[in-house]
Amino acid sequence: MGGESNEGEMGLNHGHDPSRVGSTTSMPLYAKADPFFSSADWDPVVNVGGFSSSHYSSVVMDNPGMSCFTHYQPGSGYPDMPTSLLPFVDCGDGGGGHFLGSDKNGDSVGRLIRAGESHDQVSDDGVLGVSPNRKRRQAEAESQRNKKAVEEYREDPQRGSDQSQTKHKDGQSKETMNKESSQSEEAPKENYIHMRARRGQATNSHSLAERVRREKISERMRLLQELVPGCNKITGKAVMLDEIINYVQSLQQQVEFLSMKLATVNPEINIDIDRIIAKDLLQSRDRNTPTLGLNPFTGFQGTIPNISTTTNPQYNSLPQTALESELQSLYQMGFVSNPSTMSSFSPNNGRLKPEL
Amino acid sequence: MERQIINKKKRVFSVEPNKIPPSEVFRRKYTSHLVPALKKLNMNKNSPQINQLSVKHEVDMALALSAQEFSWSRFLLQKLSSSNNPTTTSSSSNGIRIQERSGKEGGGDEDGETEEKLRELQKLLPGGEEMNVEEMLSEIGNYIKCLELQTIALKSIVQDTT
Repeated sequence: MGGESNEGEMGLNHGHDPSRVGSTTSMPLYAKADPFFSSADWDPVVNVGGFSSSHYSSVVMDNPGMSCFTHYQPGSGYPDMPTSLLPFVDCGDGGGGHFLGSDKNGDSVGRLIRAGESHDQVSDDGVLGVSPNRKRRQAEAESQRNKKAVEEYREDPQRGSDQSQTKHKDGQSKETMNKESSQSEEAPKENYIHMRARRGQATNSHSLAERVRREKISERMRLLQELVPGCNKITGKAVMLDEIINYVQSLQQQVEFLSMKLATVNPEINIDIDRIIAKDLLQSRDRNTPTLGLNPFTGFQGTIPNISTTTNPQYNSLPQTALESELQSLYQMGFVSNPSTMSSFSPNNGRLKPEL
Repeated sequence: MERQIINKKKRVFSVEPNKIPPSEVFRRKYTSHLVPALKKLNMNKNSPQINQLSVKHEVDMALALSAQEFSWSRFLLQKLSSSNNPTTTSSSSNGIRIQERSGKEGGGDEDGETEEKLRELQKLLPGGEEMNVEEMLSEIGNYIKCLELQTIALKSIVQDTT
């Protein structure tokens, strides 16, 4: 998934020279390093282990869910990277996501910027090997920095560790430098998340990162707001947090109360598990949908025989097909031991949904 | 909206027959974990009094096993396996926390308040204190979701037996 999405992104980038195709060997690494499109089983160690540069100063690290790194230019010391770089899919909509370009050369470009900005130039020189380029990069980087404060991060472990790719970068460095300067207005490159300082705000890298962090937090809060019932009208972090805390506490209390109740009822728990599960499936349609925010579809009225004594007349017909498949899978799992029950479901569902 | 929180589950409420809504997946997993465990508990303990703590233990264990994609479930499992006596019931400290919170709201600058509340939230989430704030917030989202589903499942189980 990472690979193909990376390719998709590649197509978007128009500013690239075809010589980049030569560095397709780096594709797999990039594909893996692409923070925004990796799958769940992406091995994070590949990328994290490659970081050896000492250029990176403090990195404000996010949760594994958000793989947007912000990196400070001044300072030294390389903090520990998180072990998991599992991205948060929503990050694409977040503050940093749309800044991501798919430039495969982002690695080199970014590195050029970093080379310009970092204190330690030696290793970059050694990597790229062209000193006039370095000066140009430096000048460019300085000018960029003066205009807008840019925070970048790279995930690519290539820095100083992969010779073959650096040679490619070498050849492309001049062109990419030009592109970089021309693209300084847009959000460049692949593994970088650039934040622009807004007008009138401090361009101190610390405050920038702080702002990024705050934005992420407020975005999460917005998501939570939708999750907690009755919080749509609340504005303000403190009140919202209060509500969330209350809600979580009440949920936990409910669970405890129910488990206490269960403990008292437990001796009589000689029920068929299939009955419970089937009843769960049916009743959950009705109960879950308000919780999950779906609109209950009241197209179905009726009772399913053999199952529940309390019938809820309004069933969400949307998941009825899922119901059938679930029951079938349950049956396969051996939970639904009564085949007649199974068959009794199908005609009902057939009535519900003609396409079944 | 759940799509955004439980991203890996890729919540698409479609009419395709092969797609099972992840809430159902969770509920099925949960009940399939809990009910046999309760039965076993029932059978093992011949004493008429079923220990409430052990029931709570089973309840939490079922929750943790049904939601293994999330990091809080790992913390919960750790907590459960390390202590056979799950004394981490939040209800006892709930009241205290609420009192504290209302007391602190009057004073203090906004950031301090927020930090305070975030810390409280971290305490509620299993393993929340080991996470940083952004991670904790997203984990809280799916923890809330799973708690909701758990209460629904428990209600149906209890209803079924009474």
